[in-house]
Amino acid sequence: MAHVASLLAFLLLLVDGCALFAQSLPQRYRETGEIRWGADAEGGAPFVFVDPNNPRGGEVGFEVDLAAELGRVLGVRFRRVQVPYESLVQVLDRGDCDVVLNGFEATPARRALVRLSRPYYVFQQQLSVGAKFADVRGLDDLVGKRVGVLGQSQSHQLLLARPGIEIVVYESNVTAYEDVVNGRSAASLADVPIARALRPMFPQLRDVGEPFGAYHYCLGVRRSEPELQRALDAAIGALLADGSLERIYRRWSLWTDAQQTLGEPAVAYAYGDAAGSATTAGDGAFDWGMAMALLGQGAMRTFGISVVSFALAVLLGMAVALWRLHGPRPLRWLAVVYVELLRGTPILVQMLLLYYGLGSIEWLQLGAVEAGVLGLALNYAAYEAEIYRGALLAIPRGQREAAMALGFTTAQMLRHVVVPQALRLSLAPSTNDFIALFKDSSIVMVITVVELTKQYQMLANQSGRFIVLGLVTSGLYLAMSLPLAFLARRWERAMERDHA
Amino acid sequence: MISLRAVTKRFGERTLFGGFDLDLVPGRTTVLMGRSGSGKSTLLRLLNQLERHDAGTLRCGELEIPAGLPHGEWQRRTLQLRRRTAMVFQSYQLFPHLSVLDNVTLAPRVVRGAEKQAIEARARELLAQVGMAGAADRFPARLSGGEAQRVAIARALATDPEVLLLDEPTSALDPNSTADVVAVIADLKRRGMTLAMVTHDPDLGRLLADQLVELPTLS
Repeated sequence: MAHVASLLAFLLLLVDGCALFAQSLPQRYRETGEIRWGADAEGGAPFVFVDPNNPRGGEVGFEVDLAAELGRVLGVRFRRVQVPYESLVQVLDRGDCDVVLNGFEATPARRALVRLSRPYYVFQQQLSVGAKFADVRGLDDLVGKRVGVLGQSQSHQLLLARPGIEIVVYESNVTAYEDVVNGRSAASLADVPIARALRPMFPQLRDVGEPFGAYHYCLGVRRSEPELQRALDAAIGALLADGSLERIYRRWSLWTDAQQTLGEPAVAYAYGDAAGSATTAGDGAFDWGMAMALLGQGAMRTFGISVVSFALAVLLGMAVALWRLHGPRPLRWLAVVYVELLRGTPILVQMLLLYYGLGSIEWLQLGAVEAGVLGLALNYAAYEAEIYRGALLAIPRGQREAAMALGFTTAQMLRHVVVPQALRLSLAPSTNDFIALFKDSSIVMVITVVELTKQYQMLANQSGRFIVLGLVTSGLYLAMSLPLAFLARRWERAMERDHA
Repeated sequence: MISLRAVTKRFGERTLFGGFDLDLVPGRTTVLMGRSGSGKSTLLRLLNQLERHDAGTLRCGELEIPAGLPHGEWQRRTLQLRRRTAMVFQSYQLFPHLSVLDNVTLAPRVVRGAEKQAIEARARELLAQVGMAGAADRFPARLSGGEAQRVAIARALATDPEVLLLDEPTSALDPNSTADVVAVIADLKRRGMTLAMVTHDPDLGRLLADQLVELPTLS
């Protein structure tokens, strides 16, 4: 009986302890009883993910367990909000989540933008190499080679500091590894927990060298909420002290000796008070000249991709329209299927299929820019085909008969009489499509091409300067599309004149 | 020259003409007349197979096009037929994207593949013949109806056809333009061109016809 009483007393003490941490939470979280944590579950192992072997089990991951523990200690519920990894900081700033908890590495860029809690995990970096690159033994062997990384990550920062490496930025570690497996990139650098978690999916990859470095995962908090940060710091300290952290990490096979440094003051206070000073340093350090040069490069790439893909779309679209109207029966059906298939499915899906889908077949493998150009061309060809079909049908029958009566074959009639007139008719609508393609071309960013929109996104994510950079980016798009809009209107008017 | 033997043309249930015979005489002008709906234009368009007949045979010299040929063979023979004939349409059908000169040179260039300078010289000669020498660089949209029809005649002549088919060549024109075009046609007749013309204008028909074919109105 005495045992039960002392156990009860101990439990009460525990509950009391929790209440103590809860008191330190800002009022609004105590009132709502909820903290929303932002994280990306896509390619999210081992942080937060849906176990493919047990999809009904819901979201799992060591950070899911960590969030539950933090919630227990702070007396609130932690509710996860889906946020794309590269936008974590912006979504936090907008207020759509309250904390970032997502293998959020304490990089200098982030220190300038958000408050970081004390570290809750110490990790290292692992380089993984593709089968064709047996000569690569470490980072030094990667000069001149393509290396994939997760955008905005610690690995990304590390590679940026090493000139000569061609960095390819991905939105997920899974796709970064995918491109190493199919040989497009030589290697990928990632946090050890990610590398370990994804290894079973990519047995073809070879880990090179020992894991290196010592970096920290922290929670991210809005700069205006020092109380929330202090409450989280205290909660992490409590979980560290009572062994909860170690239990979680051991359960997920993530425990390393390096975790013992988490309690050392040099680690515990590494980021807490530095936030303010790092911010001013970050502000002064933003290089506008470099940013403009990068946006200019992005605009050139957007221009090149759009022009080439539209030229291809025009040729293919005309061919498809002619097949549909004048081809032998099987070709006619093929043209119908082509148009309906490409108009009726999202271009995003087409792009991913073309790049990652075909990428797994060696002789069908396309580079990112090539796949992007081809994807846009194939998609837009369907729309152009419909414009041309309409224009071809708009040419009066008498024109065809006049050509036939002169002894033209069908091909000669089309080539010399019908198609030139149809092209004229479709000039204005076609130019409007070209303008649309300029803007749609940003979709190639999903297959790692860094064009104008992606460049803007990266620069803005690093610096937080969404407005100014956004205005410059929009200006560049307008500079490309306005002259075209002007031409389209002139052609439209000329057409009306000719037919008046 | 072209002849039709026992030719029948049907549109659905309706028989436009059945067992029809027609002979175009070399150097002579045949005029097809009849009320609208009598099928006179259809008959003319049979002569270069812009319409296909349902029974009977078309002959043009050694070339024979019986009804019911398989499509490929029909196409092959029709191409030959069309390269020996030419047609002028009621609504001109000049190619609006080409200059007057290019309208006239296009067919010889594409179909005959003859030498460029010779084609152009011949085209200018034909434009002079129809009184349009000064219009070589203009575009069809800038021509009056009479001018356009005279260019259309020059275009038809550029392939050196054996027979010229004229489908209501003046019915879209005002009196002055009609006079210009009729003068050109009369000039061709004088030069010994074989002509077949559809018209609903009895005066014009009687003026030009060596052979007048009156199509009965179908009930």
